[in-house]
Amino acid sequence: MIEVTNLAKRFGEVTAVKDVSFRAADHSVTGLLGPNGAGKTTTLRMLYALVTPDGGHARVDGVDVASDPLETRRRIGVLPDARGLYPRLTARENIRYYGKLHGMGGAELEKRIDALADLLEMKEIIGRRAEGFSQGERAKVAIARALIHDPKNVLLDEPTNGLDVMSTRAMRELIRRLRDEGRCVIFSSHVMQEVSALCDRIVVVAQGRVVADGTPDEIRQSTGKENLEEAFVSVIGSDKGLVQ
Amino acid sequence: MRLIGVVLGKELMDHMRDKRSVMTALIFPVLGPVMFAGMFTIMAGWMREDRPLQLSVVGTENAPNLIAFLERAGAQLTPAPTDYEQQVQDGDLDVVLVIPKDYGDDFEAGRSAKLELVVDNSRNQARVPIRRTQRLLDGYGAQVATLRLLARGISPELARPLHVDEVDLATSAKMASNALNMIPLFLLMAALMGGMHLAIDSTAGERERGSLEPLLLNPISRSALVAGKWLATIIATTVTVLLTLLGFKIAIGRVPLEDLGVRADLGIEQMLSILAVVLPLTLMASAAQVLISTFARSFKEAQSYIQVLVMIPVLPSAFLSLSPIKTQLWMMAIPFLGQNLLVTSLMRGEGMDPMGLLLSLVGVLVVTGICLAATVKMLGSERVVFGR
Repeated sequence: MIEVTNLAKRFGEVTAVKDVSFRAADHSVTGLLGPNGAGKTTTLRMLYALVTPDGGHARVDGVDVASDPLETRRRIGVLPDARGLYPRLTARENIRYYGKLHGMGGAELEKRIDALADLLEMKEIIGRRAEGFSQGERAKVAIARALIHDPKNVLLDEPTNGLDVMSTRAMRELIRRLRDEGRCVIFSSHVMQEVSALCDRIVVVAQGRVVADGTPDEIRQSTGKENLEEAFVSVIGSDKGLVQ
Repeated sequence: MRLIGVVLGKELMDHMRDKRSVMTALIFPVLGPVMFAGMFTIMAGWMREDRPLQLSVVGTENAPNLIAFLERAGAQLTPAPTDYEQQVQDGDLDVVLVIPKDYGDDFEAGRSAKLELVVDNSRNQARVPIRRTQRLLDGYGAQVATLRLLARGISPELARPLHVDEVDLATSAKMASNALNMIPLFLLMAALMGGMHLAIDSTAGERERGSLEPLLLNPISRSALVAGKWLATIIATTVTVLLTLLGFKIAIGRVPLEDLGVRADLGIEQMLSILAVVLPLTLMASAAQVLISTFARSFKEAQSYIQVLVMIPVLPSAFLSLSPIKTQLWMMAIPFLGQNLLVTSLMRGEGMDPMGLLLSLVGVLVVTGICLAATVKMLGSERVVFGR
């Protein structure tokens, strides 16, 4: 479970996040929807303690992120904006490195890697070096290493960015599956359809603030629009930066 | 602590698979000794004194006594070709002795008899034969003068108011050190450059590939991460230094150094002393490289910064090899300069100065600590992690 209260962050003159609060429950998918530059990535980075907030708090399973960043990182698995792999290591070695950094090792770790390779349908590439991987293959390895320690909370920053249709479908299936396993899944996106298709709860962010928060039905009701797409446009104020 | 080992292991494996980086690490162990062997073999060829002196003579018939003296002294005399001036200029002949026609008349009349030595002083290679010829001619002159004075009942010492004895204090090991100064320079360069590629690849390269942000999401402290990368750089550097030293050990065994009047030996004890001085330097060099490449915006930028970094400590050493300054104890505390002075005196066969070693160690450790702390701090900065 992830709770965010009044998060704020400035970079020099630019205020990236003004005031963001929401709650993401276990066993559900929470979508952070907003146009590019709305503050989604910065909010996520504050959640995994790579950016220190200027104000507000974030808690992961009750652990305060700012006061115990290492414990926070043990409880979350993250697919960040940057998905670089080590090109001279094989897919398995890339994933194994992260497993070891989480204190895993031996047969238990190898079994976990095999299970993830199964789940993500990446058995053919698991022994190959990462140089020359396609975007989709790279995303799979990045997901696998994010999930290696079986985290209860999963953060995905624009997970379908740069993926083709097949990989996008696989990613959506994976997100549903992670929820069905009881995890708390948060993903950010600027693609309306994706968010409305996947999310149990939607947090709409624009210009560093939460402008709408609720289930798809609640958002439709509060804006008085029948169509979810029109509802988004009405809460954000424009359709600039959103992709259908 | 275990996590440091995980990072270290990964970086080393990654590095071993990087052909380009292994190549740069191996350039020094190979290049230095090969250059060294080549240079000294050529120099030894020039300087060889045991070869008979080859002397071309014009007008042999004008001075039979002189010719007999030269032959007794072991010189091999040949008649000079007609275009001898051209051949001296071209370097085909080292030295030509010209005996003019009126030599005999002047000699018998007791006037100074003229001889001509045709040489090209700009050629290093000709210097030894020229000097040997002059010495022979001086010897003949002195012998004749002595005989003439004795014939007139005068002590020859009157004509020689000064008697200069040259006392050469340079031990042969000391002379060797001047010639062998390039060995410490190469060793210290190896300590600076051996791990360069690994340092850049594991920091600036990490960010450029987009793998730094996900790496920092693991439950590992920044200091453990920096320590792992730093240790990996140290290991790569140490291997380079060891290979370079081994290369020089092999090269010294194969170069005819005795022909240069130089006795040089890299014994086990001396090699260990050199390592005791040079290896601590790798701690600092690695820390500085990790710091700089963390700061740099890209792989390329890190590379150019580090190339400048390598030049800075080399300058005083290059200066030192040209004009030896008197060593002061405080100099030992200056990283790189201190190591250079210590290794040079070791090469000279003067033994280890424990106070100097201690000071040099302190200097290095202080700079290392500052660099590591700055790197850890930098990795905490959002601007550095996400690029500027």
